[in-house]
Formats: sequence, C-alpha cells, structure tokens
Amino acid sequence: MANAPLRARVLAALDGAQVVVAAIVLLAPIVWMVAAGFKTSAAVTAYPPRLLFHPTIANYAILFARMPFLHYALNSFVIAGGASVIGLLLGVPAAFAVSWNRMAWPAVAMLAARMAPGALFLLPWFVMFSSIHAVGSYWVLILAHAVITLPLALWIMLPFFDALPRSVIEAAMIDGCSDLAVLWRVALPLVGPGLAVAAILSFVFAWNYFLFALVLSGFSTTPLVVAAFNFVGEGVTNWGALMAAATLIGLPPVVLAFFVQRHLVGGLAAGAVKE
Amino acid sequence: MRRRRFVWMVAPAVAFVAVMVGFPFVDTLWLSGFAFHFGAAPHAVGLGNYRLLLGDDKFWNGLWITFYLYAIALIAQLVLGLYLALLLNRMRRFSKVLRSLLISPFVLPPVVVGLMWLVILDPSIGAANYLLTALGLPPSLWLASPGLVVPTIALIDTWQWTPFIALILLAGLQALPADVFEAAAIDGAHGFALLRRVTLPLLAPSIVTAATLRSVDLLRFFDVIYVTTQGGPGDASETLNIYGFRQGFVFLNIGYACALMIALTVLVLAVVGLLARLRRTVAW
Repeated sequence: MANAPLRARVLAALDGAQVVVAAIVLLAPIVWMVAAGFKTSAAVTAYPPRLLFHPTIANYAILFARMPFLHYALNSFVIAGGASVIGLLLGVPAAFAVSWNRMAWPAVAMLAARMAPGALFLLPWFVMFSSIHAVGSYWVLILAHAVITLPLALWIMLPFFDALPRSVIEAAMIDGCSDLAVLWRVALPLVGPGLAVAAILSFVFAWNYFLFALVLSGFSTTPLVVAAFNFVGEGVTNWGALMAAATLIGLPPVVLAFFVQRHLVGGLAAGAVKE
Repeated sequence: MRRRRFVWMVAPAVAFVAVMVGFPFVDTLWLSGFAFHFGAAPHAVGLGNYRLLLGDDKFWNGLWITFYLYAIALIAQLVLGLYLALLLNRMRRFSKVLRSLLISPFVLPPVVVGLMWLVILDPSIGAANYLLTALGLPPSLWLASPGLVVPTIALIDTWQWTPFIALILLAGLQALPADVFEAAAIDGAHGFALLRRVTLPLLAPSIVTAATLRSVDLLRFFDVIYVTTQGGPGDASETLNIYGFRQGFVFLNIGYACALMIALTVLVLAVVGLLARLRRTVAW
C-alpha cells in the first residue's frame, strides 16, 4: 500500500469513512434501544437524553417478576416452532418434487400466497375460526403462520435440490428405493445446510410476524410481538421495561440470522436473487 | 432421460395452500358481495361494496397515503441502497461483522423496530429531537405531525430495508462481467459516466428485482404503521391496508373490508405485473 498513488489511498480512506458513517446510522437506533432497556425510568425520560448512565437490570426484573414474559415467550416458541415444523414437513418434499420434475406452477402458487396482503386471508379465517370457537387456540395460530413458513421453506430448498446431481437420485431410483426412501435416505442428507437455513428462516419469520397473531391470539396464547404492542397502550408506558422487552424479542432473530447470513437475502427474495 | 416421479409429494403442500389461502381468497371475493357486519346476518349487495368504495373519501385517502409512502420510501431505499452497494463493492475485504451489521435491521421483528423508533422519535423525550436541536434545527413532532408522519414512516422503513437492497445490488454487481469494465476503462470511461453508461444499465435487472420485492411489502405495509401510529394522527398515515384492517377488525365491517382487501390485492398485482414487464425490457 505504501507505493500506491496518493490519490488511491485518499479514495480508499474516504470509502472507509463512509462505511463507518453508514454503520453508525444503522447501528445507533439499536444501541439506543438496548441502552434504554438498562436505564432507570428517570434516565429513560430524561431530556436531554443521557449517553452515560448507571446501568440497571430493574427493567428485566420487572419483565420476569411482574409480567408473564416467559409465558409470552413460550407462546412465541410454540407458534414459531410449530409453524416451522409444518412448513418444512410440507415444503421440503414439495420442493424436491418441483425441482426434480421442473414444475413451475406449485412454486408460483406459493409465491402468490406470499405476495398477497395478509388481511386478505385473515378476514375469512377470522369468520371461519370464530364460528367454530377456535380463535385463540395454538393450532389456529400455528396453521396461520405455516402460510408464511411453507412458501419460504419451498423456495429456500429449491436451489439446494437443483444443485444435487441427477445421477445420484437416478441411481437410488434404479436400486428400487421408494419415493420417500429416495428423499429421506439419499436427497436429504445431501441438503443438510439447506434444511438448516430453511428451518432457521422459517422460525425467524414466524417469530417476527405480527398481523395474524394480533387478530387470532387469545389471552393465554399471546406471543411476544403482540404482548409488546399491547404493553404500549396500558396507561403510563414504562419505556425502560418496554425497551428491555424489545431487546429480548429482537435477540433470537438477530442471533439466528447471523448463522445463515450468506443465505438470508436469497431466502427473503424467494428465488429472485442468487447470491 | 427424465422420468417424472415424486409428483405426489407436492400434494400435501398444494392442499394446504388451497385450504388456507385459495379457499379464503375465494371466500373474501364472495364476502365482498355482502353487507356483512360481524355478528349480524349478511345480506347480498352484489357490487354494492365496490360502489360504496368509489364514493368513500377514506378509501381515496388510503390509496393516496399508500402511494405517497410507497413512492418516497422506494426511491429513498433504491438511491441509498445503490450508493451503499457501490461503496461495499469497492472494498476489498467485506467482513462477516459488517455483513451481520447490515442484516440486523431487516431481521428484527417489525414490532421491535416500531417500538424502538417510537422512543427515539418521541417529541418530548426522544433522541431525534435532541439531535436536531443540537444541530441548531427546530424540533419536530415526527409521527405526531399530520404533515410529517408519512415521510417519518418512510424514514423508518428506509433505515430498516436499505441494507437489504444494498445486499441484493451488491450480489448483482459482483456477478457483472469484469471484462466489460476493463473495456470501458480502456475507452476512458470513469466515474459518473461509467456509472451511468455501463454499471447502471447492466445492474438494471437487479434494481428492478429489488424494487419488486420492496413494492410488494410497501404497498401492503402494515406492522410498523400499526405499532407506531395505527393510521394516525387522524387518518394521516392510514394506508389502504390499515384502513381495511380497521374496517374489518375494529369496526367488524367484514363485507366492506373484504372489498378493500380485494382492491389492495389488485393494486399489488398490477404493480408487480408492471415491474415484471419492466424487468423484461431491461434484461440483457
């Protein structure tokens, strides 16, 4: 670098500075939220805002001692976990068949399901599930969120199945394996990373999804995102505790996404982008 | 040799989508033909809900807000995303830390994003106004201002999704053939001319793809708006999706809400269709 022309070195330094500024802009709001979760209520509402403060875990204590935060978390796990299992159980074999036979229409149908506004299905679901008194049950919430996870799982798995050498599958077929045996014993062990990506992103998407649970969850099945939203309206909002809750709710998606970051954009773009 | 096999394996997934998505879609179309207040008996009105919709100021307001938000958010994200992608493309090393920093905003739950910005943008205690006054600018009401609420929501969405666009465009940039740029450099194309005449035309398919993905989300934008303003102040941020949701689940006016949702879906499909045509014209 010492021999590089001055102009090139200046330009590289300018680029570096711009990246740092961009990183600060992206990170600052998140840092602010996390910090607010560790502030006393006086420090959260102080103006001018305080950059330096004595951190406290009082807000986290409130969440776990005075609020059913763990129960909401359990609801989120049940709904996101259940929806991910259904999404994978239905989506992975479908992706395999679509990939092998080059069928376009099931994949397009899944894409259409993903593009429509959620309330389009939510209105008839609400009418239907209300009439059988199922609104508020776990199974309704799991089925609703599987509508999010199934197309996601299918579109994430497609490129992984496409990349399998056809000869491997054909060899298993000639050996007389049943369809399920070909999938289970031959194909799936070769697409392990794809399964991990599909499972993780399904979970993250269902965990994050707000609209369905806003309408379909009941008193005892409220997931975290809806509980946090309800928390705002209740009298005087305890901003510190709310930011502590927001931090905890945001943590699993950020951590999980870290492990699949190379596949994340491709997964979100549902086959429209190859990374 | 290609043998069709495993076709039955799509059946469970297709059946699930038919029951959970296909049937409800038809049901929504059907219900949009009824005056149906939840709890009361529905009675058929034919296209009455759609006639009602054309004369409904709140519908036209929702349509306007939807497009207003869509336009400013999409333009801001595409411009900033392109800038960020070009910047990252010039860097030799692109660390895992930087990438995970870029993905953090758009993997956070929208509810968390909304609550986070609610605190930052609070007119009396928020850091945003402190920053403005520290720079010698007047404080703003942000989400509480009827005139600024839509640009403010666009700002939040731009913060959240610009990195996503940047990563799509970065993947597009890195897939471009290097020899074209070498030839352009030999011909003396540099800087802005290179960007305008070589890079952008080659990158156009990726840009349209990114725009399509964001269009679908922006036209049916719900979560962050509902968490921060619920369509307010007044109806200043009441997009079609928020208005439809409120008609359906707050006022329990199911038939009319179904008509609104059909209208929104037609709108999304029309924009996606237009962008798909655009995608074909910029292909190379």
